[in-house]
Amino acid sequence: MATLAPGVKTGPYHAVLDHIHPEPTSFIRKYIFSIDHKIIGIQYMITAGLFFIIAGLLAEIIRTQLLSPTGAVVSAATFNQIYSMHGTTMVWFVVIPLLTGAFGNFVMPLQIGARDVAFPWLNLVSYWIFPVAGVLLFSSFLIGAPDAGWTEYPPISLQGPPGTSMWCIAVFLVGISSTLTGINFTVTILKMRAPGMTFTRMPLFVWAQFATSPMLLIATTALNGALAALFLERQFGIPFYNPAHGGSPVLWQHMFWFYSHPAVYIMILPAFGFISEILSTFSRKPVFGYKMIAFSTVAIALLSFAVWAHHMFTSGMVPWLQLPFMIITMFIAIPTGIKIFSWMATLWGGSIRWTTAMLFATGFLITFTFGGLTGFFLAAVPADYHEHGSYFVVAHLHYVLFGGSMMGLFAAIYYWFPKMCGRMMSEKLGLWHFWLVFIGFNGTFIPLHWLGLLGMPRRVAIYDPQYQFWNVVASSFSYIMTFAILLMFINILVSLRSGKKSGPNPWGARTLEWMISSPPPYYNFKKIPAVLATPYDFGNPLPYIGLDAAPGATEATPTHTSHPVPTY
Amino acid sequence: MPFREDQLAQRVVKPKTNLGPGFWPITALIVVVSAVMVYLVETSPLPIGLVQAGGPADSVDALFRFLGATGAVIFNVVTIYTIYFAIVFRAPKGAPPNSIGVQIHDAPVLEFWWTAIPTILVVILSIYSVKIWADLQNTAGDVLTVEAIGYQFGFQFRYPKLTTPTSELHLPVGTPTTIHVTSRSTDVIHGFWIPEFRQKADMVPGLVNTIRITPTRIGTYRIICSEFCGVAHGGMKGTLIVQSQQDFDKWFAQQGGQHAGGGGGIPLSAGTVSAGQALFGQKCSVCHSVGPFSQKIVGPGLGQIFNDPAHPKLVDGAAPTPQDAAKIIHDGYSGDIGTMPSAQVNGLSNPDIANLVAYLASLSKK
Ligand code: HEC
Ligand SMILES: [Cu+2]
Ligand SMILES: [Cu+2]
Repeated sequence: MATLAPGVKTGPYHAVLDHIHPEPTSFIRKYIFSIDHKIIGIQYMITAGLFFIIAGLLAEIIRTQLLSPTGAVVSAATFNQIYSMHGTTMVWFVVIPLLTGAFGNFVMPLQIGARDVAFPWLNLVSYWIFPVAGVLLFSSFLIGAPDAGWTEYPPISLQGPPGTSMWCIAVFLVGISSTLTGINFTVTILKMRAPGMTFTRMPLFVWAQFATSPMLLIATTALNGALAALFLERQFGIPFYNPAHGGSPVLWQHMFWFYSHPAVYIMILPAFGFISEILSTFSRKPVFGYKMIAFSTVAIALLSFAVWAHHMFTSGMVPWLQLPFMIITMFIAIPTGIKIFSWMATLWGGSIRWTTAMLFATGFLITFTFGGLTGFFLAAVPADYHEHGSYFVVAHLHYVLFGGSMMGLFAAIYYWFPKMCGRMMSEKLGLWHFWLVFIGFNGTFIPLHWLGLLGMPRRVAIYDPQYQFWNVVASSFSYIMTFAILLMFINILVSLRSGKKSGPNPWGARTLEWMISSPPPYYNFKKIPAVLATPYDFGNPLPYIGLDAAPGATEATPTHTSHPVPTY
Repeated sequence: MPFREDQLAQRVVKPKTNLGPGFWPITALIVVVSAVMVYLVETSPLPIGLVQAGGPADSVDALFRFLGATGAVIFNVVTIYTIYFAIVFRAPKGAPPNSIGVQIHDAPVLEFWWTAIPTILVVILSIYSVKIWADLQNTAGDVLTVEAIGYQFGFQFRYPKLTTPTSELHLPVGTPTTIHVTSRSTDVIHGFWIPEFRQKADMVPGLVNTIRITPTRIGTYRIICSEFCGVAHGGMKGTLIVQSQQDFDKWFAQQGGQHAGGGGGIPLSAGTVSAGQALFGQKCSVCHSVGPFSQKIVGPGLGQIFNDPAHPKLVDGAAPTPQDAAKIIHDGYSGDIGTMPSAQVNGLSNPDIANLVAYLASLSKK
């Protein structure tokens, strides 16, 4: 074991971690039922990528339908199923799994210098629930998919097609999957950081996962409770929500949003983490205000539990209760603002390399800020009375979810692809992808703001003719966006086969995952390195000792033989 | 060779250069662009491009202006600086691969300000929103109360004095109106959205939500369902017709009601003469004497309003009953003589009106 510098604390784990399990050799244990966090991360990525394609196509059916005020392609009943499935898929089967399941799994253990997550078998279970839930969800199309939006408010969802019950089960299952992931990551980050990696030396993506994981745990519980009740009421008539039988429809809304507002941050905090990493790497500067960014991440996570009723200003609650929810919501802008300004300051004075990942991260700054500002419009109760349930909300949520989470994810894909696959993605195609997405996205969603303000409600299969022009504009740009995303998939497929070999650290980045080969070896680190400082000081030598490549590092050999190597 | 932690103590490299080439001109650009945008937003009469058909659309639009102006400034600051940094600080062509940026970690003063200024903004915005919110809750001066009921897939309305519900919502212009919205008890949730008034409430079975508006602009407006309610949700619309009191009364009579809107709804029995006399001295005696009709100041004398043989009808042509007098006092009236201000202008509540009518009745008895 390498000697640590004075002052570096070693936990009891350091010794425990230093043993290595042998790598499984059978295909099934290696690639299907793997317990390797990297493989599981990639499995999540592929599965969620497939769901993303489906949900994206559903989105294009929506936009095509809205080319005409009377509905251009499908019946209203089908349309309702399509937009409900689009929302459900994007939230629970694409964005959350990509941010936590895929990137959380692949990157986070590497960044903390661990050999895997704390509970690898639990991780396997988390993953395998997810495609099963997905198959359930999509097979609901066969019996009539849910049609009341991703929010499925009762009583209408009580009358919904039979698939609505399938929807309950599917979302319940992904809920369990994310809860398990939440437990796993929380413990991993608390217990398995490399020696010397104190909280204030963790990479900011780890901070983001550290704030997100307990949220997954706490918030999802409320959702699953609500889903179970909805299922029971639908199948067995036990009255929870139906007012005609003494239930309360607003109860669902409280439970649902008690989950779904934190979920909004589950869907953005990890993206914030991407942005911190990527802006720092390509500006070749320390992240500006590291501690403030870390602190504001946690502040946002905490505050996010006290704002859910801002989705319910028109639902009917004691009027004065609207005020605390409004005010706390507005206060979330402060930690968010701190982040935005810190990122801008990270760009300042940089030696910026304009890679595709960097472009997406910078584009994120602009689109996400815009989405954050329209959030103010929705938080202000009197203005929300006008905007609630209109296309303004649709525009806002796509600005934060696409302009925020998805832009962050695109950046992350370009950034970590070389680490995952050992090959570079095409920067040329990447540029096309970025600019077309940026133009297509803004062109699609800007007009929806004023359509909403002018009185177009959301979730409509037909609409008043005076709204047609801007709907046609939005739809046209959406085709550009879809085409651009297609380019990304092409880029991935082509690069997988014929991308330039990347080597361990193509970007000159400094977090731990870049210190090992690409793709990383089965056990990530032959020696667990010790960490001496935050990773971001480009002016200093690397703050790690005991890395494999470092002089004096001795190779560990598989020593742990208490588990027999599986032979299937 | 392992290096020691103390060698890694964070060195703050002071930027040697100024803030960057062209930093101040760009800042000036941000200021100018923001000022222009704020000016345009703040002076636009209809910031969201939708007519105002009555209160509280004007207050909500004021909030929209404020939000729009603040948002524009913040967006300009973020976007323009970001693009500027992106261009100015790009690594020059042929820069060595290990060239690095300014190694700066923190700037506490800067960070203080970019925490403090947004905090102040958020506080101002919260206070402003609470103020407008409080205006919307204000119930004083409500005259007409209507119930709006949603069902799959339409709206219907109940007026206090009509036995059958109506399919359109008619409101007399200038009348502060309370709309209680709900849904049929066995139905689903609908939304009641009147965009020209910037108001909306969900129609939840078993729950009554309240909207308060004062129509000020005669016309026909949309009522839109804003909560998904089933297959025909997109087509679920209603009509709100704001009309003059006369037209409203006519329509109301056709629906089978007797004289309803305006003062028609004010209970008069509880009025007391002494309170009425005091109010009359404060609010009415500038324009009205207590002599006969002909003894005019600005308006006619009111001393014999209910039993003046020379004037068997009120100025609006109605019979001289306490209810009709109350209606004039409530709604105001513009006729040959001049303009009688409405109760809103005079700051009268319904009990005030009852007291005044009681006082006028006591005069007429003498
Ligand atoms: C700014 C002057 C002004 C004030 C103040 C004012 N009125 Fe009048 N009022 C008028 C005018 C002018 C008319 C006649 C309108 C017309 O017919 O053109 C009128 C008409 C009336 C009538 C109808 C008389 C009739 O014979 O039909 C009543 C009743 C009345 N006012 C009551 C009141 C009461 C009660 C107050 C105090 C709350 C009040 N007014 C305050 C100017 C005023
Ligand atoms: Cu929310
Ligand atoms: Cu509806």
